[in-house]
This record gives sequence, structure tokens and C-alpha cells, in this order.
Amino acid sequence: MSQIMIRDRVPANELLHPGHLACPGCGGAIAMKLVLNTLGPKTIIVMPACCWTVIAGPWPQSSLGVPVYHTAFETGGAVASGIRAALDVQGDTETTVMAWAGDGGTFDIGLQALSGAAERNEDILYVCYDNEAYMNTGIQRSSATPWGAWTTTTPAVQPQGTIKKDIMAIMAAHRVPYAATACVSYPADLVEKVKRAHGTRGTRFLHILSPCPPGWKYPDEQTVELGRAAVRTRIFPLLEVENGARWRFTVDHPGHDVGAYVRAQGRFRHLDESAIAHIQEDVDARWEVLMKRVVHGT
Amino acid sequence: MADAIPAVAVSTTTTRVNPTGSWKYIRPVWRDRVAPCNAACPVGVDIEGYMNLLREGRDTEAIDLLLRENPLPAITGRVCDHPCETACNRCSLDEAVAVHAVERALGDAALARTQGEARTRHNADRVAVIGSGPAGLSAAVFLARLGYAVTILEAAPEPGGLLRLGIPPYRLPRDVLDRQIAQIRGEGVSILCNVRMGRDLAWDTLDWFDAVFVATGAHRSRPLGVPGEALPGVHAGLEYLRRANDGHAADLGERVVVVGGGNTAMDCARSARRQEADVLVLYRRTREEMPAIADEITEAAAEGVRFLFLAAPIKVIEQRGRVCGVAAQRMVLGHPDASGRRRPVPSDEAPFSITADAVITAIGEEVDDAHLPFALEGGAVPVDVLGRCGTPHFFAGGDMAGHERTVAHAIGAGKRAAIGIDQHLRARRGERPPPDDVAALRWGGAGNLSMSRWRQDDPVPRIDPVNEVVGWAGINAAHFARAPRLLDWIVPPGRGRSGVREVNRGLSRSEATSEARRCLNCGVCNDCHVCMIFCPDAAITPDPSGHGFVVDLDYCKGCGLCAAECPRGAVTMTREGL
Amino acid sequence: MKKVMVGNHAVSWGVKLARAEVISAYPITPQTQIVEELSEMVAGGDLPARFIKVESEHSAMAACIGASATGARTFTATSSQGLALMHELLHWAAGGRLPVVMADVNRALAPGWNIWTDQNDSLAQRDTGWIQLYCENNQEVLDTTILAFRLAEEVDLPVMLVLDAFYLSHTSEPVDVPDTELVDAFLPPRVARHRLDTADPHSYGALVKPDAYMEMRLHQQQAMSAAGEAHERFARDWSARTGRAWPALEAYRADDAELVLVTSGTITSTAREVVDGWRARGERVGLVKVKMFRPFPTAALRAMLRGKRRVAVLDRNISPGHGGIFAEEIRSALYDVPLDDRPALWGFILGLGGRDVTPETIDEIVVRTREAEGAPEREDIWVGVKV
Repeated sequence: MSQIMIRDRVPANELLHPGHLACPGCGGAIAMKLVLNTLGPKTIIVMPACCWTVIAGPWPQSSLGVPVYHTAFETGGAVASGIRAALDVQGDTETTVMAWAGDGGTFDIGLQALSGAAERNEDILYVCYDNEAYMNTGIQRSSATPWGAWTTTTPAVQPQGTIKKDIMAIMAAHRVPYAATACVSYPADLVEKVKRAHGTRGTRFLHILSPCPPGWKYPDEQTVELGRAAVRTRIFPLLEVENGARWRFTVDHPGHDVGAYVRAQGRFRHLDESAIAHIQEDVDARWEVLMKRVVHGT
Repeated sequence: MADAIPAVAVSTTTTRVNPTGSWKYIRPVWRDRVAPCNAACPVGVDIEGYMNLLREGRDTEAIDLLLRENPLPAITGRVCDHPCETACNRCSLDEAVAVHAVERALGDAALARTQGEARTRHNADRVAVIGSGPAGLSAAVFLARLGYAVTILEAAPEPGGLLRLGIPPYRLPRDVLDRQIAQIRGEGVSILCNVRMGRDLAWDTLDWFDAVFVATGAHRSRPLGVPGEALPGVHAGLEYLRRANDGHAADLGERVVVVGGGNTAMDCARSARRQEADVLVLYRRTREEMPAIADEITEAAAEGVRFLFLAAPIKVIEQRGRVCGVAAQRMVLGHPDASGRRRPVPSDEAPFSITADAVITAIGEEVDDAHLPFALEGGAVPVDVLGRCGTPHFFAGGDMAGHERTVAHAIGAGKRAAIGIDQHLRARRGERPPPDDVAALRWGGAGNLSMSRWRQDDPVPRIDPVNEVVGWAGINAAHFARAPRLLDWIVPPGRGRSGVREVNRGLSRSEATSEARRCLNCGVCNDCHVCMIFCPDAAITPDPSGHGFVVDLDYCKGCGLCAAECPRGAVTMTREGL
Repeated sequence: MKKVMVGNHAVSWGVKLARAEVISAYPITPQTQIVEELSEMVAGGDLPARFIKVESEHSAMAACIGASATGARTFTATSSQGLALMHELLHWAAGGRLPVVMADVNRALAPGWNIWTDQNDSLAQRDTGWIQLYCENNQEVLDTTILAFRLAEEVDLPVMLVLDAFYLSHTSEPVDVPDTELVDAFLPPRVARHRLDTADPHSYGALVKPDAYMEMRLHQQQAMSAAGEAHERFARDWSARTGRAWPALEAYRADDAELVLVTSGTITSTAREVVDGWRARGERVGLVKVKMFRPFPTAALRAMLRGKRRVAVLDRNISPGHGGIFAEEIRSALYDVPLDDRPALWGFILGLGGRDVTPETIDEIVVRTREAEGAPEREDIWVGVKV
């Protein structure tokens, strides 16, 4: 069949209730829907401060059909470790403990707790849905914000001057059993990775690109297409790393020009041609590094 | 009091109490639309529909759906210029679906089926069809299916019109044609041959019928209008083909000049090659302006036909009382004429001569207006979209009534006339009021008419259909993998192409099914779930009927992802019905 | 069974007897022996708990919150900088109504680095909603550890038990270790009122708007009130089982005292000696030991101090810009005592950063308080400083 059918490779939705407070077109909502329904009802979610703190719904509502513990911003990895310990003591080895954090709560303020949990190889699933800035508080930069992007704390006259932190290399350095990148635009690939993570023990890390209409400044209905473009341009390659050493791509990355991807987003509107060329060079250089990892390991 | 509020912020309800649907200012609608192939088809076939059935492995239903709108698919699959493929949205992805090959495979499968019982009649009306070419055959079958007693009166000894007399057997094998006509007879159509209306039978004898469809075609070859045209060895193209297809080809000698650039000229040239003559085609414009089907030109060249462009005959040269050559004038292209093509004008160069043993003229056909019950205007019978021609009781169609002179257009005209006749006679019988809106019957509002829509018995389940064509902009190519188009098996040029042997052998059934799977199914929901999968708000669920989807407007925020991601443009956003 | 042990190990033994299920801790002097001993107990199989060796105190409290929310009996220990680092999450544990028990080894806060005892670390957390119980000796430490779990799980509030750095943490004392049967009878397994349960899924801690937040805090305050009463009940129960009573407030020779010293922690033992000395000289000097600082035993304190002429509060802490914290709170508690009955109150600041508090120091305080004329010249009178 010419259409790449994803229908039978993606679970039906049973655990995400409508009426949640995500912005229209939110990539993070699609991410949760895909991940949670793949994991199933025997899941406990730890949710440090992030967009999903609000998306989940104000008390007394919950948009999720599993237990959720809202926690402080920097504590995702640590609270998850505690829940896991309690479940183990209670003899429950079936329930998945999932920390669900944004890029701020993973790359920045939550990095220590994540690192601690990963070093201890805690039996948790840590998912970072990455919209590349502190979106919940109104679009401030994080260390996941890509070079050149506008945010409220990196205004157009002086946009983000550092490159996106390589969180996958950091997780690989911890030699966690399983780490992977995924994108909501590739649902079957994402679901496959959740299943693989679910079937592994120890610290499992998923980094999911979640395009954000108000933060990246594009029309709501382009979320999925932008995610595809991020992958096709190799800006956000889809890959897996096992035990920090075996790197593997999971889709083809044709290497389209970054220009179309960049120009489609208002957060890059201020960039001139030389800046876009710089982005392309950086993407190409990082691709070379990744290729070496895929061929040779870390 | 504090007791109503718990000690900790523990949830007691879901967010379903929160109607986020109030946020939206646009909403999605699932509305099946029309694939561009359907709209481009001169016959008005539900091409997308049968491709979809083939994809699902429902072959018998696919054939039935095709036959509903085109009773002659084994023929059109072979001779149609397939504008469906030009319009195919897949062109913008990789290559068009090879619709012609799939249609031909289904058409051949239909011919192999044993005939069912003839239909029983539904009403007492009788319709006469004059001419058994594609237009007449088409109208007759559709009218029989609508419950009429139909009689075709054909002037020639055998039915088929140009299908038999014009198109050579290496393009349209005789057994295919014969089996097709036998199946038409099997649907309850009577065919009487050797009846020339206006000569063997007076037109007013047709008063016995309740309506008459005249489709006698355009058989008079246009004369060259040059001296020497009447010499022995000069053959009118259609006359040459009639005899050649009959097995009594005129003797041509070794060198033949064919004048003309249309399908008839190509048929003549290729038939002449099969008589092992050296054939040169003279055409007064360039290859790009030739009206013949492109594949025909290619195959003619492959078979060794040579072409001389920008040349027109000015005289047939005589020697010993017969043709020995053609004097020709080089042309240059001047300003465009009424057809939009640049008009050829003589150049300043001196004329030149070409040696020839025979000349075949194929510069166009005309309607023979002798013995017709109505007058021509501009060389054709003026008709409206349903074949009404102003003379009460009579309808007309096909080559005689239009200038889009192809087999497919003729079949389409036959269908339109059948609808026109049915509309007329239902009104006379006092049955349901005839709908006025022909546009609603047209695929996409501008294509040919759909017989299923006229009969209101379309078997394809459509979700709230709207009569709009889905262009490439409505397709989301990200959901489709590239796949090369399968190529017809064509007998290589050479001795294998001799005589009546069919040159294009088409695709096998399994190849045709593979090719059908390349169809994007533009505009018609096939339950692929993409809209539902990408909805961030879990507001889309499968329709309880098992086909299609429903959106819960209490929660849909109008983000538009469903519409943007639908691979085939079956979901659009609207401001209405919020 | 009598053993000689340092205060830190008394905590460990209390945690083991209490059958804690999840322990999550990060090392800091002078708490380290608590967790080292527990590590050995867990590794040796004596204590079937999970010990999460987290990478900071903030994460230790975070892990305790997670474990406690899942229904486990949870423990951590820290001191000084570590406790300060946990601050954000102390609010979370209390507001989340989680019965976490934590031992804080009272240690001064940097800068400059100071590993010796004072009370600023625990008292700086007095507004976080934790129950705070101070200990005078290692027996009290062990007993309080066990009682802390009972109390916490009764009212669903976290409990901080406090012991002085080095004077208790590293000082060996004889301790009667109760039998497991006794402890099991006193402290049944935890039955969590709320826990993360996939069979009954809820979310906890979502956004609460102004129209409901206050009521949740009111609930928390009501639980604090209930904690005072519950502590009394459990202390009596424990006393009945062991013969050892550790009330929220203890009056020592204070009934007819004209001058009452108010102390907490190990200073109390020294003060008892000083009181005995004055009593031997015929002076009516007494002592009130404050064990429970949160919930603050306002009514009981008023009852003990009303009618006394002079009160000297000994604070091994300072709230900069105000005074000693015990003194502030006692002064505030006495405000509604009618003027005639309200004692004059002097607040003394001593022993910060581990500076030794000797009987002479306390003697000097008694003298100054007795001989003072009129109101105290200032809220905080610093003793033993070299100015």
C-alpha cells in the first residue's frame, strides 16, 4: 500500500481525556497520548513543573487515567526513584514509573536529579518532551533552545547564542540501558521505542521533540509537518542508544536544507542568510559526529 | 466549610467537565471529495472508487463499480488517451498511476466473466439508437440498465462503428471488440445491422419509438483540396482503414505518404507499415502540435514510420495515370488559430517533391449530413449537455455532435444522452421530477456525469460528500512512500509486431493490483486513522457505523491538524457549524 | 536491651525498629553515621528497606516524597546545609500531607563553614509545616524516632526529630533498645489514606486556585492542632510500655519557681545541674524543657509559666533582625496572659556555632535575670561573646 499505514502500529486512546488545557496543536499533548496509551494503565506519572502541569487540568480535574504526582521543578528523577523504591518494597515490579518532564526540567534545573537517577540505574522511564524553551512560563530560553532562536529572554537583537545541549550524549555517558530520541510526527517509531523501553529494566530515557505553536510561532496545524522537517533536515535525528555505546538510526534522514524548516517558524524570523548558513554548517558537523557514533560507538 | 475541600489536592473528576471546544473558531468537517481522475475522465468513471476496492482485495466489486460508469473498459483501457493520468495527483509525488492499464486489466477480466441474465424491463418505453459505435453502444447499455427496451440500428454489416472500422486490431483486437458487443447484447440490447437510416429506412418509422439517440459519427474524410487528389493510389484514411481492418487492405506499393497528424493518420501509418511499406508522415505543424495520442506517435516512430514536419502537400503528382509522388511546401508557424495552435503558413522556400506509390489522407473527418433528420451547425449537430438537439424526440451524441472526437468522449456522450432520455421519458410517464442540476451529476462539478448519481444508487459509502476536486494541495505527501509506476508490456518493435498482433499487452492482474495500490485515493476517507492519531485533544473517535470519524465539538480546539494531516484531503476546516 | 551508642546510631536503631521501608539520604557531617549504620543494616539484611543513595539532600527529600506518596514508610536524615537545601520540598512534604520522618542533626549554617551545633538550621524551617521534636539525650532520640513515625502517620504530617551535633550525635550514652515486639505493638504498619495506586488512579498536587487553597492549609493547621493532642496520647502510651515519658513540655522543679529557665536540646541537661545548684542554695529556680516546638504548645506553656515572675529563655539560635526564636514564640504565647500573671521574659542568645554552654554560662544567665531591673534592655541578650 502506497500509504505508510500507522493505524495498526499505534494504540487506541484510552488514557487521555479531552478537555485538557494544552494549546491547540500542542506537540506535547500528542506525545503524552502516544506514550501513555502504549504503556497502559499500570503506569504512575511523576510530573515536575512544565506545560503538562497545567495541561493535566486544575484540581479537582485530571486529564490522565493513571495516578499522577505533581512535584517540584527539579525533582523528576528523584521523586520517580522514590516511587520506584516504594513499589519495589510493596512487591510491585509491574507498574512503570514514568517521569514526564519538559526540557527545562531535564536539561537545566532537573539535570542533577536525572543524572543521579541514571547513575544509579533506577528502574524508571524518564521522558523529556522537548519544546525547546520554558514555554509554560511564557517562552524563556533553556539550554535546549536551538542556536539563533528568539525567546523572551533571548530577544531578536541578541538571540540564543549557545547551541542546544546534547542531552543524548549526556545520557549515553551515564551508560543507561536504553535511550532514544523520538518525534510526535513519527508515531509508529515513537510507539516502537516506548515498547522497547517498556521491555527494558533500569533507567530508560526518551527525548521527544514536541513542536509548540505559540513558542515556535507557526500556525497550529503545522505541528506534525514541522516535526517531520526537523527530522528530515537532521536537526533532530531519530536514534537509539543502548548502554551508551551502540548508536543506531531508526529512520532515514535525507538531509533536506534547513532553510525551509527555519523560515517556517517565527522564532527564527530575524535570521539572515548567513545565520541560516551557520545553522546548516552546525547541523552538518553534528551529523558527522553522530555518524561516527553510529559506526564506532561512543 | 473546609470539609467540602479535601486535605490534599487529589483529583475527583476528569477534564471532561471542561469544554475546551469553546476555544475554537474553526472546526473540521469530514467530507469526501472528488479525485481529479474522476473529474478528468471523459466517460465519468469512479476511478478512485475502483482503485480503492482493488486495494482492499475486493476485485469483483471493483469491476462492477467500473462497469457502472463505463460499459466498455476493455476498449477504453486500450485506446483512451487517459487524461485521468495527466490529472492524477500522484504526478506531483513521483508518477501517475497507470490507470489505463488497471482499467484494461479489469475490462479484460469483465469480458472473461460469464454473462449474467439479461435485465428485466422496468417500463414500457422503447428507445432506438442509431449507430453502434462507442456512443451508441454506451447509450444503449445505460438505457437497457435503466429499464428501457433498446434497439440499435447499424448501417454497417457488423456493429462497432469506428471501433471496428477505424481502429486497427493491433490496437483493439477483434475478439475483444466482439466479446464486448456480445456482452452488450447480453444486457438486453438488440442490434440490427445493414440498416441505413434515411435510405433503407425512413426516419419517421422511428416514431414508433419513444425516443431516438442518433450517433452515426463522422466518417467522411476531409479532402486535401489539392490537384490530383482523385488519382488512383490516393486513399481516404478512413476508407483505407475500413478495408485494412476488414482484411482487404488496399495495395500500397513500397512507399507511402500519409498526410495528417491525428490518431487516424497514425493508424494509417502503422497499418501501412504492416504492409511493409516505407511510410512517411507529412504534417504541416510540428510534433508538439500533433493531436494524436502521444503513445501512438512514439509507437509509430518505433515501428519505423518517418515524419516530416512543417510540410503540407500542394499537389499529387501523376505518372501513367496514377500517383507517383507528392509535391509539398515547407511551412512555418505563424499566429495561433482558433484551436490555439500556431497556424502554419507557407514558407518562402520553393516546393519540393516526395516520391510515393500511395498517398493516404487523414486530415480530419466530417459529418456526412446527407440523410440526417437535423441540420448541422459548424460541421456538427448542436446538442446540449444531455444530448438534446432541438428536434423533439431526438437526441444526438458522439463524433457527429462534438469536436472532442475520441472513443472516451463518445462513451461519455452516450451516457449523458441516456440520462437525458431517461429524464425526458420519466417526466412523460409522470415519475419523479427530473432534477435540474446537471452540475450535481458532474464529477467535481465540471467532469462528465455519474450514472450512479443519476440513479441515486452509488454503492460507495461516502461521508457527507461535496462535489469538489481535491488537487495536489489537498494531499499530504508525507504519508506516502515513493513507488515507481509499472510499465505496460509492449511487444518490442520488429517482427513480433506484424499483422494484427496486439502491440500493448498491458499488465497482469497482480501487477494491476500493485499499480492500484499506488493510488492515493484522493478525497475519499479510507479509515486510515491519521486524523485521530494526531489529534492532540483526543476529540476524534471512530464513527459508530465503522466508517469515518466524528469530532466532539465540546473539546475540539480547531487546531486543524486533522485536516492538515489527512493524506487525501477528506478533512477540511470551516467556520460553519461551530 | 541496654547498649551504649552514639546519638546517630540511636536514630538508626529507631528507624530499624520502626521498620522503615524506604530510606533516601545524602551524607553530611555530623549526620553520616545515621545513614552509614542504616546502610549496613540494609545491606546485611537486618532491615528489608530500599536505600536510595541520592545525589543531594534536595533529591533525598524528593525521593522520600515519592516513596511516601506511594504508601511507604519513609525516612531521611540531614543537617545544616542539607536541610537548607531541602527547604522547598519540606513545604511539599507537609502540604502534601506525607508522613515522612527526618532526623536533623542541629548544625550551624555557613558561611564560614561550621560543623558544630546550633539550632538555626531546624528553626529556619519552622514555617514549613513539619512537626519538630527536640531531644536531650540519646535514649530520648531513639524513643522519639519511633514515636515520630506513629505521630506522623496519625495526622499525616511529616516529623523532624532534632538532636545536637556532636553532643548527642557523636557522644556515646547508654540506651535501652526496646524489643521489636514492643515496638510492633506500639507502631503498626502504615495504612496510607492516600497513595498512588493504578487500581484507583488520581492526580495529586495539581493547580489549586484561591478558592480552595486556603481550606487545604486550614486542614493542615487543624492537623497540627491534632498533632499536639496525639503526641500527648502516644507519649503516654509509650510511657506505659517502657516507663519512659517524653512529654511536649517538661517542668523541672518549676512549680514554685520564681525564675524559670526555658531550654531545649542538650543545654537542658546542663541547665538541670544549674537549677539543682540554685535550689541547693535555697533559691527558687526552675526549668521548663521544650521538646515539641511545632506544633507550639501554647496552652501548656502558658499554664506552666503564668504567675512566674521571671523567665529566661536560652536560645541556641538567632533570627537576625529579631531575637532568639524560642524567646519570640514564648513571648508571643504569653501575650494573652493577663498582665498580672505574665512573667517578665529575658531572651538569651548563646552557643551559636557550637560555642560551649557551660554551667557557668547558665549561672551567669540566672544572675543577670534575677538582678535585672525593669524590662529587658533588648530582646536578645548575647552571652559569652567577645566584643
